[in-house]
Amino acid sequence: MGNFLQLVHNENIKIYKRARSWVMLGILVASAILISILWLSFGGRDTSMWEVMSTESMILFMLLTIFAVVIAASSVAEEFASGTIKLLLIRPWSRSKILLSKYVSIMLFAVLLAAVLFASTWLINWICFGINSAVSLDETQQMLLFPGSSGPFAYMLMYYGMKLLSLAVTLTLAFMISTIFRSGALAIGLSLFLLLGVNNFVLLLGYLEYEWIDYLLFMHLDLTKYIGATRLEDGSNLWFSLGILGAYYVIFVALTWYVFNKRDVAA
Amino acid sequence: MAQPVVRLQNVSKRIGGRTIIDRLTLDLPLGEVFGFLGPNGSGKTTTIRMMVGLMSMTEGDIWINGHSIAKEYEKAIRYVGAIVENPEMYKYLSGYDNLMHYARMIPGITEHRVHEVVKLVGLEGRIQDKVRTYSLGMRQRLGVAQAILHKPQLLILDEPTNGLDPAGIRELRDYLRLLAKEEGIAIFVSSHLLSEMELMCDRVAIIQGGKLIDVRTIRGAESRAETARVIIEVDRPQGAIEALQASGLAPVQEGEQAIAIETDREGIAAANAALVAGGIKVYGIRAHVKSLEDQFLEVTGGESIG
Ligand SMILES: Nc1ncnc2c1ncn2[C@@H]1O[C@H](COP(=O)(O)OP(=O)(O)OP(=O)(O)O)[C@@H](O)[C@H]1O
Ligand SMILES: [Mg+2]
Repeated sequence: MGNFLQLVHNENIKIYKRARSWVMLGILVASAILISILWLSFGGRDTSMWEVMSTESMILFMLLTIFAVVIAASSVAEEFASGTIKLLLIRPWSRSKILLSKYVSIMLFAVLLAAVLFASTWLINWICFGINSAVSLDETQQMLLFPGSSGPFAYMLMYYGMKLLSLAVTLTLAFMISTIFRSGALAIGLSLFLLLGVNNFVLLLGYLEYEWIDYLLFMHLDLTKYIGATRLEDGSNLWFSLGILGAYYVIFVALTWYVFNKRDVAA
Repeated sequence: MAQPVVRLQNVSKRIGGRTIIDRLTLDLPLGEVFGFLGPNGSGKTTTIRMMVGLMSMTEGDIWINGHSIAKEYEKAIRYVGAIVENPEMYKYLSGYDNLMHYARMIPGITEHRVHEVVKLVGLEGRIQDKVRTYSLGMRQRLGVAQAILHKPQLLILDEPTNGLDPAGIRELRDYLRLLAKEEGIAIFVSSHLLSEMELMCDRVAIIQGGKLIDVRTIRGAESRAETARVIIEVDRPQGAIEALQASGLAPVQEGEQAIAIETDREGIAAANAALVAGGIKVYGIRAHVKSLEDQFLEVTGGESIG
């Protein structure tokens, strides 16, 4: 049989040969620059580069999630919408592997987005606030409340790591919706609605005393709160959250692959 | 008949209680262009979808080179190249990138082969352009290119002449016949263009309402030997009739200036010789061969979609 990497290569081409992916990367970098410049002009240089980087990352990761969901949701849905799915599937590859190649290329794109965001916020803020910094590392530590003794760079890495974990679950959800309903718009809409809308609403639900609320996906998508302390005062703990995310992840993947393998392609 | 490369056995498809394909059984040998003819909605595309594994079968199975499409899909499908309905490609990629995309999915396809195929379908001039800018006929050619890229043993084409200009149709027809004869592959073409099938195919299956109703041979000795009604335009019909009766034929008068006989190819030559010898002026000879279209309408009863 052939080489699976060739399938991933094909899917990468479908992502990177289109202008929209580059526009997304461009917007991400431009937004980082914009926020830093605004901060610099209104707040002055009296800030730690890590504080700005952390704030920027928090805001822009939202944007990044939207972009990644758009790519995840369109991968399968567009093949159906354009009819190219027919010529894609009639090759000596199982449907599972073709779907996997799409999934891998989406995850790679998400990692690329995160890497670009990390690198650009780090570089921009080093230039704007880091060179001959007016703020000492101790002050930074106090301002950001870095847990433990880890340095700010290590903290940011952990922050991105946690964000990427929950992003993977979100993207798998979007991928599932688009595969089951073969509609990119629906997948984008539904995932973002669940994420941005319900996510905030669910925080209110958290005050209710129902047992099942602990098992909702959306109660566990923010993993960054566990950096430095795997057990929090409100009773949540990292391993329980990871367990819940893992369980949802397995269900999403199983459903997606099952439906894609079974489906009659009559597009 | 050569060894069958494709075997459909009792293939049925039911969707939501409706039977779309009803116990279809067919054998396709190598080296033959096989036509699949049927009115709109008769189940041609559905059959093709099942042959390439895009749709599951409710009953029966399809074997390609001895491999079951239902059970050993990856093995079976590697011998198949196909266009299913319109050849949709990635519009934001160039024709060349599209072909490379499919080339990567099958081991052993070199860039050289890709260029060879591009030349074959006559797209050299535009292959680096985005597919978005292609005309329907150019897309159809690109569709044929991706189907033959890996030198399949079975080529399945769903209405391949759709959108092609007369020269393109002719080229495709000649090329398909060449592929069948020289490379010895099996070609399965669906169409409702009856005259087209007549020129292209060795055998034609007629399907209606999901049922196979007839399989006919188009080419070869059989059809040559068939008799046909021949109309001969002459200056003196009465004289012509006498001259032909003398040579053992049974002509009848057909209008003012013509006679008609029932005969085969050899009979036409003999009749002409007799007329000329009898001093009759012959203005024209027309054989009224029953076309596939007539046969088709006869068999399907000229029914509407259903
Ligand atoms: N996914 C589907 N669900 C339900 N019915 C379907 C589906 N696909 C096709 N059909 C029905 O199956 C029948 C055969 O359709 P098919 O597309 O195979 O016809 P066709 O012979 O290719 O027609 P045409 O010449 O118009 O291309 C039609 O009556 C159609 O309505
Ligand atoms: Mg059709």
